[in-house]
Amino acid sequence: MSSEDSNPAATPTPGVDTQGDGRWMSLHNHFVSNSKDKEPDVLFVGDSLVQLLYQFEVWRDLFSPLHALNFGVGGDATQHVLWRLSNGELGHISPKVVVLWVGTNNHGHTAEQICGGIMAIVQLIKDKLPKAYTLVLGVLPRGKMPNPLRERNAQVNKLVQEAVSSLPHASLLNVDPGFVHSDGSISHQDLYDYLHLTPQGYQAVCQPLHAHLKGLLEKQAEN
Amino acid sequence: MGDTRLISNPQRMSGDEINPAAVAQAVEDVQGDDRWMSQHTRFVQECKDAEPEVLFIGDSMVQLMQQYEIWRELFSPLHALNFGIGGDTTCNVLWRLQNGELDNIRPKVTVVWVGTNNHEHSAEQVAGGILAIAQLLTSRLPKTKVVVLGLLARGDGPNPLREKNAAVNGFLRSWLPRLGQAQFLDVGAGFVHSDGTISTRDMFDFLHLTAAGYRAIAKPLSDLLLQILDETPEEKRASLV
Repeated sequence: MSSEDSNPAATPTPGVDTQGDGRWMSLHNHFVSNSKDKEPDVLFVGDSLVQLLYQFEVWRDLFSPLHALNFGVGGDATQHVLWRLSNGELGHISPKVVVLWVGTNNHGHTAEQICGGIMAIVQLIKDKLPKAYTLVLGVLPRGKMPNPLRERNAQVNKLVQEAVSSLPHASLLNVDPGFVHSDGSISHQDLYDYLHLTPQGYQAVCQPLHAHLKGLLEKQAEN
Repeated sequence: MGDTRLISNPQRMSGDEINPAAVAQAVEDVQGDDRWMSQHTRFVQECKDAEPEVLFIGDSMVQLMQQYEIWRELFSPLHALNFGIGGDTTCNVLWRLQNGELDNIRPKVTVVWVGTNNHEHSAEQVAGGILAIAQLLTSRLPKTKVVVLGLLARGDGPNPLREKNAAVNGFLRSWLPRLGQAQFLDVGAGFVHSDGTISTRDMFDFLHLTAAGYRAIAKPLSDLLLQILDETPEEKRASLV
């Protein structure tokens, strides 16, 4: 009996249009058709932290040269990413590396459930792209001062780290350069609303990510 | 157009019902990290230290602008403060302005951009809420000029929210000039193509602007701000001889 049925974070669920302009589905359809004539080596998929990355210079500087596609959707939780990847977004491409960054929007789910959701995505990617490597990025701390979501996100990272440790096709990369200061605070210079990254915040996250990605791509090329 | 009594009292709809879009309301922390209040607190603190000539207030359309180069190029030089918070409605902006975000500052111009997140309210109510914000600003800062930006179209293709936002703009166009110190600026021209679509090159999620999208709206806005700042007499200052 699969655990998907009992874990909402691991049950593919499309976004619901509560506002009235159907943007979630529009974006999904845009990604599906956008992938038809592309041959990316790297696919970034996840929530607004992925989506916003595409808007800043850092994407053009570091990730365009790696032939990367960006399938980030603001507000997405694990179950939404799972649905998107199950419904066409992996249909026409064979990236060598999938960078997965999701989990912070799984409100109401426990750290265990969120980990289960992330691992369900890792498994789905393996099923659809047997040769791809999945790089899971650690969920960042959030909020100006210590709060339960920071604890939840840290626990998610710990659980995912354990779950991927035995897998040859996936790993967790901690991309938090030390956003939390000694007094427990996060600066708006790094996370402008204590959740989303500023261009400066992205630089700090992406330099090591880029280096790690390049290493992975070189290794994939050797295989 | 619309209920003309709203111009003098946007808090009331026709029949003397209270306009819910003109009721000040803080955002409740449902997620658990209290980020809205943290941002508000930071803005109140900024009021203590800064002497802005221009104040931007609104939702994510305002907030995100500060993350792009265009802010540093065009608006930082005008000594602008950015008090945008993603997700805010007219109610939330009203609450913030009433609870410290206007203390100790005397901007010459205030740019208001809010309304697209007022999902529970009708177009007329939203316009009434924006009008209430403009009235609050002119009563708290008698010398300030208020520039209200029109709501942009949203969504991939035609949809009810586009019609609603256009209706809000229609009300504002006729109501704002009667306030005297307030004016309406439509920065939405060109985003909707002839086939009714919006491009992700302009709005990366069919709502939020890309760098290119901001560049398109920043020029007419900055031109207007420069014009207003030029026309506003400098306060008398002691000069060093």
